[in-house]
Amino acid sequence: MKEKNDYEHSKRYGMVIDLDKCTGCGSCMIGCYTENNVPFKADETNKLDSINWIQVYKLTNGKPYPETEISYLPMPCMQCDGEGKLGHSPCVSVCPAVATDYDYSTGIVSQIYTRCFGCRYCMAACPYHARKFNWWDPVWPADMEKYLSPDVSPRMRGVVEKCSFCFHRYQLARNKAYYENRQTEELGEDEYQTACAEACPTGAITFGDLNNKSHAVYQLKNSPNAFRLLERLETNPKVYYLSSKKWVRRQGDNYLANEEPGLIKKIDKQHH
Amino acid sequence: MKIDRRNFLTYTTAAVLGGAAGSMLTPAPWKLMDDVSIWTQNWPWTPVPEAGPVTHKQSACTLCPGGCGINVRFVGTRPVKIEGLKDHPVNKGSLCPMGLSGLQYVYGPDRVGSPLKREGKRGEGKWKKITWNEALTAVTDKLASLRKSENPQSLACITGSSRGTLPSLIGRFLTVYGSPNLLRPATVQDANEQALFLTQGKQGTLGFDIENADFILSFGSGILDGWGSPGRMFRLFGTRKSEQRIIQIEPRLSNTAAKASRWIGINPGTEGALALGLAHVIIKESLYNKNFIEKFTFGFNDWTDDAGITHTGFATLVEAYSPEKVSQITGIPKPLIESLAREFAASPRPLAINGRGQGTLPGSIDESLAMQSLNALTGNINQIGGIYIVPEQTYAKWPDLGMDATASKGMQQPRIDGAGSDQFPNTRSLLNRLPGLINSVKGDSPVQALLVVDANPMYTLPDTAATRKAFDKIPFIVSFSSYMDETAAYADYILPDHANLERYQDIPTPAGMAHQTITLATPVIEPLYDTKHTGDALIHIAKSLGGFVEEAFPWDDYETFLADTLQDHWSDLKEKGVIEISPDSKDSAVLSFNTASAKYEFCPAAATRQGSKDSNAPSAYTPAAIEGDEKRFSLLLVPYDSIRLSGEQIANSPFMTKTVEATVLKKQMTLVEINPKTAKTLALKEGSKAVLTTPKGKASVIVHLYEGIMPGLIALPRGLGHTAYSEFLAGKGTNTNDLIGSVEDPASGFDMAWGIRAQLSKA
Amino acid sequence: MSSTDHHHTHSAKAAPDPDHHESGASGSQPAKSSGWGVFLFFMIGFVGSLISGWILFPELLYSKKSQPIDFNHSVHLDLVDDGCNSCHFFEEDGSFTGMPDLSKCVDCHESAQTDDPEEIKFVDEYVTPGIEVPWLNHSKQPDCVFFSHSAHVMGAGMSCESCHGDIGTSEHTRVYEENRLTGYSRDIWGHSISRLGKPEPGDPLPMKMNDCAKCHEEETGHKGACFQCHK
Repeated sequence: MKEKNDYEHSKRYGMVIDLDKCTGCGSCMIGCYTENNVPFKADETNKLDSINWIQVYKLTNGKPYPETEISYLPMPCMQCDGEGKLGHSPCVSVCPAVATDYDYSTGIVSQIYTRCFGCRYCMAACPYHARKFNWWDPVWPADMEKYLSPDVSPRMRGVVEKCSFCFHRYQLARNKAYYENRQTEELGEDEYQTACAEACPTGAITFGDLNNKSHAVYQLKNSPNAFRLLERLETNPKVYYLSSKKWVRRQGDNYLANEEPGLIKKIDKQHH
Repeated sequence: MKIDRRNFLTYTTAAVLGGAAGSMLTPAPWKLMDDVSIWTQNWPWTPVPEAGPVTHKQSACTLCPGGCGINVRFVGTRPVKIEGLKDHPVNKGSLCPMGLSGLQYVYGPDRVGSPLKREGKRGEGKWKKITWNEALTAVTDKLASLRKSENPQSLACITGSSRGTLPSLIGRFLTVYGSPNLLRPATVQDANEQALFLTQGKQGTLGFDIENADFILSFGSGILDGWGSPGRMFRLFGTRKSEQRIIQIEPRLSNTAAKASRWIGINPGTEGALALGLAHVIIKESLYNKNFIEKFTFGFNDWTDDAGITHTGFATLVEAYSPEKVSQITGIPKPLIESLAREFAASPRPLAINGRGQGTLPGSIDESLAMQSLNALTGNINQIGGIYIVPEQTYAKWPDLGMDATASKGMQQPRIDGAGSDQFPNTRSLLNRLPGLINSVKGDSPVQALLVVDANPMYTLPDTAATRKAFDKIPFIVSFSSYMDETAAYADYILPDHANLERYQDIPTPAGMAHQTITLATPVIEPLYDTKHTGDALIHIAKSLGGFVEEAFPWDDYETFLADTLQDHWSDLKEKGVIEISPDSKDSAVLSFNTASAKYEFCPAAATRQGSKDSNAPSAYTPAAIEGDEKRFSLLLVPYDSIRLSGEQIANSPFMTKTVEATVLKKQMTLVEINPKTAKTLALKEGSKAVLTTPKGKASVIVHLYEGIMPGLIALPRGLGHTAYSEFLAGKGTNTNDLIGSVEDPASGFDMAWGIRAQLSKA
Repeated sequence: MSSTDHHHTHSAKAAPDPDHHESGASGSQPAKSSGWGVFLFFMIGFVGSLISGWILFPELLYSKKSQPIDFNHSVHLDLVDDGCNSCHFFEEDGSFTGMPDLSKCVDCHESAQTDDPEEIKFVDEYVTPGIEVPWLNHSKQPDCVFFSHSAHVMGAGMSCESCHGDIGTSEHTRVYEENRLTGYSRDIWGHSISRLGKPEPGDPLPMKMNDCAKCHEEETGHKGACFQCHK
């Protein structure tokens, strides 16, 4: 397929999260739950079995009072492009059922719940803990099934789920573009936004096509404060972070004491 | 061919093999394999949400007083998502976790679906479903009997707020019925309102023009932890100009402190002293706005009244608050106090903000006055980037009340909580004093019937044990809650209100907004259950009581009443959902004060200041009394607010609880934050189980070591420890109110407790 | 089996019964299984399974249901201005409404227009009480499927008939054959139980995932990513 290797010209949807603006309020998580029919249980304190497509982590600089600083880190699926060539995402390459797949037209890593048989190889392969397993059948108590959205299929016990960059919103935006006889390749930046980006009350999350010069993410990702998580693994995530704090950027990877954060980015650029 | 037992098996095998071979040449096995896999993918218990045309309806969030505009997405007739309304002047599209999870409140397991009558013991959870007619008759009969026995003042009503038309309707009901006892919890808005009245002589709420301030000095206000209208505050933070600096002063590294330009730790409860210390430096170094101070203020310098008595001016008063002394009190280094004062005064538009955490506790009047004095020193009164007085919402005049002798006599009785008495002349309501007052009375409770509307005092009032004891003495409790909250669970009757999205509600200017807004929450769905708008229920009860009470309510229903009350605004509100009223920017309006001196008064002449030798003394610093013996309780317990939890009458949604970090709640236990140094002295480690003891109670907790908290403190999140509601909330963690009591401000009667002495020991 | 029988069998195994042996040697019918016998039974099984697999199985797999109202597409198509779009149209957001709801029908059928018993039944049982007609959808897909009508109709310029067949000219509703295991219409798999051969002209096309993928491959050069058709 010709578009497989067209790294520069295909769309690559991505996210730039400004950690200086993230207040750790958790609205992105709830915006995501309500958009994507994410279930809940009575006890969600064991975060290993708590299903979150985007999870806000808390980082600390570890210094004693009053020099202590904290920063929040929202982590959706990183939608890894993979090492070297497109589509070699860690999870996609291990799935024995083709239940997870790399979409070359958007760069989004899909997860098809009805295809998944729950082996959880992908969870083991994902270095970001982005994937969650349904240990139980979801239950919506009282009349809560009534608020479920038809845009995202509810999952069943025994399958893995994860952030889809709200792919259904892309589909709905394309639906509209087709209806209006527009080129669906030229969707406006505001026509396709993820639920978390919309829910973030401080506007810390910017979403768009990383390859499109007119999209905000194009410039933002090149900021000197930009970094990605575990860049050295060359998973090539499409989620970028911004932080003016060096100690935060340092926590993006396992840097040695004499290494500067951001070093790995150069390797990444040489690669492509 | 003879078939006997021996060859039967052989032939059968042959037939089966033939069948198997044959079936391989039919579609059956392949088709069945496909069908079975589809069957396993579509379990009947996995819901399939129904599709339909997508529409949006605009309304407003009513889950807190923040008044954010919401946009509800519908699929067919089902609302499926709540999002922020982009062009609403308060939140401009931003919403907090509670607002975003609003549908869980409507469809969730905590709803009360029909009127209920208590069957078992109070709080036992045994209920009998009754009809609305039975419920309304039961309440009407009780209220009629109180009037018959000439005891109407023994009816009390607790509301969540005094603002908006529903509390006005209830106020009107109580007046014509004959009871002055309309109670509600006080917030920092009330303390600020009183300080405003003392300094400016006007009634109104205090607004902060955070949008345009360039140096924000926050005295522990959780401006990113739910203070004011959370939607507005988040939006402002996200869109602020890069030159805006935020200085956060509090003993714990909150989310606000983490995001501030600078976080300064302070000994808890000493914020007022810091404000006066900053004023000291500003005055001493002559950095204040001389034009404003000279022309528009009174009481800056010492002054002599007509009787020839000399009074202390503000400048003289703060002389005692030298940076050295303030450093001792607050624990903030002297040079830092000085540089902070200089920076504040040198900024073109500095702004001091108060109200600890979400501002749900009022604090002392002295604190409010100290913060406002700081703003006055820079002349930032009713100015861009400063503090504004936001006038109270005016409503259309209702028909005059006729009152019978019973009502008049009842209304002449003093309020049970002492608000408005000689002791607290400027205070409107002191719900925090109610449990203590009821408990101190021997014999019958002064409250014989209690109506609870939009409030959950059994959970939100400090000292839960005392509240429960007081409620035990009230023979008749009616809750109008939509949810099975602690107070509803303890009531004798529940007359459930509609939930959010199902009812009309007007929302006056949210806390902290610098200009006036009126927002209307319009119902966007039909009520799901057999519920009734509390306004309608009260109008019905009033009509059933007859006489003047009936006459006072000429409206058919709450909607008519609302339309009548909002008059000119009604059609606008129905159409647009919100009205903005810009402040009068003319100098004559901005700098006119209704005080005795017609100036901004540093020495509020109208104030009766308890505990002060000089009855006209300006704002001073009264250190808040801390409950508990220092020897027995070596630590200080402070509550903290988080936007992911709600300590107010509407509790967290299951989704909010789901977002709570594992360092805050673990299974059913709360984690308390403690500095590693302090923990070491107590031989406590991360994850240790411990017992937290205060003069008010005990709780089992887990220890969480947190560098971001001042040594010697223990921090406990508000919003956990519910005893009512469903399994998604009940029994999770500890309610701060079980452990912390109320401390009365001698000047206002408000609760000024910000914590309590405590001890933490290994379990 | 009685205890005596049991005993007998047991002893037979221990020492062969001479009578038994003799009758076998007499040659009337060998008690030993014969090659022909095995073949015969094999063929009985073989042919039986062919018959049941090709004829009985489809009959058993599908239950037959009729639509709540015998709808006449042909009559309606003659009366409306905009062909199929008159009742099956797109919303402005590009979503497809599919089967019209009652509000669309009420425009004309507030009361019965003819004395057709089906129309009278429709008005009496659905229009007057305001109950939506529980139409059985021949094209209903599982919840995990995302299908965009606008991509196919607007984007690829396909006609309704190219997938749904010439239902628009039908005078009666077809029998709805529901798969007893999956609950979906037989149309999804295709009428031919073997999926061999092409559907008759005018018949709806089968709508299994492979059918989608095949057409996509032919028309666009690739099958498309999973998310293109799944949600």
